[in-house]
Amino acid sequence: MFSSVMSAAVLGMEAYPVQVEADICDGLPMFCMVGDLSPEVREAADRVRTALRNTGIPLPPKRVTVNLSPAYIRKMGTRFDLPIAAALLAALGIIPPEHTSGVLLAGEMGLNGRVRPVSGILQTVMLARDLGCSWCLVPEENALEGAAIPEVAVTGVGTLKELLGYMKDPRKGKARARTGGGWEDLSGAYSVDFCEVNAQEGAKRAAEIAAAGMHNLLMVGSPGAGKTMIARRIPTILPPLTREESLEVTRVYSACGLLNGGKGLIRVRPFRSPHHTISANALAGGGRRILPGEISLANRGVLFLDELPEFSRRALETLRQPLEEGVIQISRADGKYTFPARFQLVAAMNPCKCGYYPDRSRCRCLPGEIRRYLGRISGPLLDRMDLCTEVPRVDYQSLVTTGENESSRVIRGRVEAAWSMQRDRYRECGWQFNAHLPARAIREYCALGRQEERLMETAFEKLELSVRAYHRVVKTARTIADLEGEKKIREHHLMEALGFRMLDRKLWDGE
Amino acid sequence: MERENTYNRRNTTVNEKICIEYIPQEDVRYPKRLRLLPGMPRGLYVCGRLPQDGCPSVAIVGARSASVYGSETARRFARKLAEAGVQIISGMAWGIDGKAHEGALEAGGDTFGVLGSGVDICYPAGHRRLYERLRTEGGLISEQPPGMPPKPGHFPARNRIISGLADLVLVVEARERSGSLITADLALEQGKDVFAVPGRIGDELSRGCLNLLKQGAGLADCPETLLECLGIRLDSEGDGTDERKIVLAKDENIVYSLIRLQPAGLDDLVQNTGWPVQKVMTVLTGLQLKGCIREVRKNYYIRTD
Repeated sequence: MFSSVMSAAVLGMEAYPVQVEADICDGLPMFCMVGDLSPEVREAADRVRTALRNTGIPLPPKRVTVNLSPAYIRKMGTRFDLPIAAALLAALGIIPPEHTSGVLLAGEMGLNGRVRPVSGILQTVMLARDLGCSWCLVPEENALEGAAIPEVAVTGVGTLKELLGYMKDPRKGKARARTGGGWEDLSGAYSVDFCEVNAQEGAKRAAEIAAAGMHNLLMVGSPGAGKTMIARRIPTILPPLTREESLEVTRVYSACGLLNGGKGLIRVRPFRSPHHTISANALAGGGRRILPGEISLANRGVLFLDELPEFSRRALETLRQPLEEGVIQISRADGKYTFPARFQLVAAMNPCKCGYYPDRSRCRCLPGEIRRYLGRISGPLLDRMDLCTEVPRVDYQSLVTTGENESSRVIRGRVEAAWSMQRDRYRECGWQFNAHLPARAIREYCALGRQEERLMETAFEKLELSVRAYHRVVKTARTIADLEGEKKIREHHLMEALGFRMLDRKLWDGE
Repeated sequence: MERENTYNRRNTTVNEKICIEYIPQEDVRYPKRLRLLPGMPRGLYVCGRLPQDGCPSVAIVGARSASVYGSETARRFARKLAEAGVQIISGMAWGIDGKAHEGALEAGGDTFGVLGSGVDICYPAGHRRLYERLRTEGGLISEQPPGMPPKPGHFPARNRIISGLADLVLVVEARERSGSLITADLALEQGKDVFAVPGRIGDELSRGCLNLLKQGAGLADCPETLLECLGIRLDSEGDGTDERKIVLAKDENIVYSLIRLQPAGLDDLVQNTGWPVQKVMTVLTGLQLKGCIREVRKNYYIRTD
């Protein structure tokens, strides 16, 4: 008898509908699977057969054919065990055939019939919604993740026996559907807070400005000065994820199988700090199964690159396009993939090879060596850093004093106000933050008064700004004005932005 | 000569068409200062000019990995001395040497680099721009034949030429057992005056100079002290000090008074003034735009003179 159930394949980050068809007929006993399958999908035959037998349903000695269509999409992963089992149960007549329509299944199965979690459930449930399916059966551990889509009933399945029960009696199964937790604010979700950072006023201020306009930030300082400490706290001053952003972030993590603990949607802004030995592909995305890379995992959050000059040049150069466009496009033999990559880049580096440069009692690097060290970062990447600050070593006195530092919550309040100003201003534009303001729009949105124009003219000549640097300063000044709730950019905004500007290469080595 | 003339480090070898002259001891152009001393080379390879015998000359030497304070001091002394018509001799190395040359060139004075390699080789390679300026606006001198790579043994030997060409040797920053101290010792043997710029006690880079001072070297507190020792009087009195009268606002004055030749960091200034970062940063940029201070590295500032 023939039967068919719905499932989905996940390629990159997208889910595609897959119809799982099973047919049991007379003939030589065999189990045959077709439909452009990768080895792990082919192995489903043995897993499903054994799991069925261990649940008390031995397959009859007949010719079993399973087809996954459309046949032109490569099927990868172990998510087809559950739909294959369901299709077989329907073909055997154990499940009434009418119960298999409008249901979408995905999940891996163990030999004892236990259902194991798989990746990419969120996009699978989203696909079910788009296809008009009203019910999804997914592994128990993935149920909460799928429940984020309210239009679809998502039921977690623990064992094959449970599946059998739910499919026989869909009303009972739908009643057990998980509901996503309410969308309440989880502000206490971070284990770190800015109030733990003593002194470092300059770096803290730079971090606040960077967060307020999603500007890229470069911190220079000796080892142990607190660069990583500050970077780790930047997500805590970013406003919480909206529902749409959370879905976008969770989709990436779901595709990569990085949602652990079955907690459902990701509520906190991502913070990714890949090691400097990372390859260009791991950063941008790729691999045998094309998956999003670190820059997509940092989407809507912070990508922190510690020891920036130690990263391979190729890896750093791949950042350039996503920094401009907010997406990364990966073209491989089997297709083109587009992953989101709208992140805030925070980088940290030592001032020289030994790390102690201004302190000449410890650093003996020659000027040429320092220049070579800094020269490892390409000019185009430095051009994309809006803010730069020095993180000095903290002396003992300010280390032990437990002053009343501002907490992340207070800073986040100011950042949120700045964000809402930007949201109002850029409502009809294709961008959201000052940092993403294209050069052609700067005149319109960052208009300067006569006094301010004169200041920038002096600065342009005296500080030898480049045209790019000029634009960056004006954009940063716009953010500083937003932080103060000012509609117009004033002189002191520009002056502070100038103080935090990225130094030109010429000034790198103090020449 | 079958010596290693295949020195081909990147960027180091200059094109071969530059004009190099060999001046033997018998030549009238051979510096008189060297002819009088024992152990001087039989001849010098010169590219550009040679120091004039009649003009006073000062050698400025010091550490290669110098601090901002040392670099600025070297540049300032060289500029002031060159303005007074003094020739500046140094070794074109990283750090103090290079800054001394730069200071002299800024003032449009005469400056001469004594190299430890052939004069057609730019070592260190990163000083290419300075090398070209010295070649065209001053002079490059070496006892090594053209094409000779820089070898460790050459540098102590060229120090005797540096001190020999000078009437006075100024050590700006030196660690204990530094090459600059060799130059100072050689200068004393040759009967030249030695001056040292004092540094902070406790800094490794001050050790050498403080030791020299302890042993009786002259204290170089300002360029005028050296000029006095050379017997030069500045005719135009008081033109350097009060020429610029920029009116600073009260806030600017407070910050300006906290910034000296030692680089002051943003956080120190925030701590010392007790103001919020925004305000300090604004004032700092204002001072920078007025030309009163300079950012030597990110968020570190020094006074300009």
